[in-house]
Amino acid sequence: MDTREWALLAFTILGQTAAGLMIVLMIVRAYLARAGGDLADRLTNRPLFLVVPLMALALLASLFHLGSPLNIARAVPNIGYSWLSREVVIAVAFVIFAALYTYLQWRKVGSESLRTAIGWITALLALAYIYAMGMVYMIATQPAWNTLATPVTFIVGSLLIGSLGMAAALVMGHAGLKKTETPIVNNVLQGLAISAIVLLGIEFVVLPLYLAYLATQGGAALQSLNMMIGLYGFVFFLRLLTLFVGAGVLAAYLYRNAAVADKEQTLATLAYSAFALALIGEAMGRFIFYATHYRIGL
Amino acid sequence: MAKQLAFYVDINKCSGCKACQIACKDRSNLPVGVRWRKVFQYEGGEWVDQNGQMIPSSVYTYSVSSACMHCKKPICMDVCPTSAISKRNDGIVLINADMCIGCRYCSWACPYGAPQFNEELNVMTKCDMCQDLVDKGERPACVESCPYRAMDFGPLDEIREKYGTFADPAPLPDPAITEPAVVYKPNKITKSSRSGDGRLMNLEEL
Repeated sequence: MDTREWALLAFTILGQTAAGLMIVLMIVRAYLARAGGDLADRLTNRPLFLVVPLMALALLASLFHLGSPLNIARAVPNIGYSWLSREVVIAVAFVIFAALYTYLQWRKVGSESLRTAIGWITALLALAYIYAMGMVYMIATQPAWNTLATPVTFIVGSLLIGSLGMAAALVMGHAGLKKTETPIVNNVLQGLAISAIVLLGIEFVVLPLYLAYLATQGGAALQSLNMMIGLYGFVFFLRLLTLFVGAGVLAAYLYRNAAVADKEQTLATLAYSAFALALIGEAMGRFIFYATHYRIGL
Repeated sequence: MAKQLAFYVDINKCSGCKACQIACKDRSNLPVGVRWRKVFQYEGGEWVDQNGQMIPSSVYTYSVSSACMHCKKPICMDVCPTSAISKRNDGIVLINADMCIGCRYCSWACPYGAPQFNEELNVMTKCDMCQDLVDKGERPACVESCPYRAMDFGPLDEIREKYGTFADPAPLPDPAITEPAVVYKPNKITKSSRSGDGRLMNLEEL
């Protein structure tokens, strides 16, 4: 895989992390808001402040893929046909709304309901952004990419990183919690752990179906499959293992330990390592994605 | 609207000498690594063991000269985010270097490997069918250079009237994908894109 595709790897993983955090954050806020007080703000503002910088880094990385990055503003006109145009436009809209929402939350500008509305619009843009990111690879001449598995796994991966990232952000705020708030936060942690396990389950259903599909297609699809399980077989295995340990085993322990009082230290270790493993697993998956695609034809 | 222009290659006459490829590279002043026209050598078949002697039974090889097909459905044009790729009235598909951002999306999509990145210009480039020559009523450099007179060029319907409609020699992809404006004359051993059981040879030359 050449340098330019490393740029795309960084762009997609950072973008997925930002978008996943944004979506999960709004869902968690909705739950925490029911507890009243400023608990939702105290716990979700910290990860919110990460969304814009992450997206800025993502867009910066994407420029390294371009031969003439200074012309990036021209990447818009073919929005009627090109998913790449759509991805760029939606990504920019997402950043603008995320910046606006971050500012409103930070300075406490505007009513609670206005801020919430803008937050949800931002989360929807984040979802649209990840969908467009996947659709970019739906090219008729790239059989290893041109399957439903592409947009599905982009979205699932993003939500997985987002869920465990949010869990990591919550345990970071554990120390400042009041006695009555701890059980509420632990409930959220349990919800995030279950969501990670469910998303992992979806990945583990989609993946074998995807591999079986490639095997039946022959030609360029089969070439991709052979490379995935041949040359990159070890990375492929490591990726599955990392994902399974992070989003499966550690998430399950996170769920169990969040049910017991005074386990802050354990919860922190579990949440951080689960998040790190999910991120590494997704990055390895993306590496394979870019390294094993074969185009039909010459 | 002017008529869609097209290339014609007679596979039976082609010896795989690559004069067309070199003429193109020379005329368009292409840097190392960029070849708008390429000649692919395709071979297949097997030898059989007859009483301890290896006898060639179904071994075949032939060459396919290929460039941008100036397709009727140019997939490169659809995916290009900047609309830098356009199709002239006479069907010539062009990349506008001033608009290109060098994202290489077209090279992911084109099944003929036509759009290629130029490291000196930092944009994508491809065969322009020698549009300046065509506009003067002349023929593209590759067509003129062929020592076997295996190539021709003209409006697609005239080319089809003269030479038939075959556009499907392996290792080229299924023409249904982009509807290439091209005609090939197969020889006896030419396989179609679907029945091709051979492989590309001399990859280091590609």
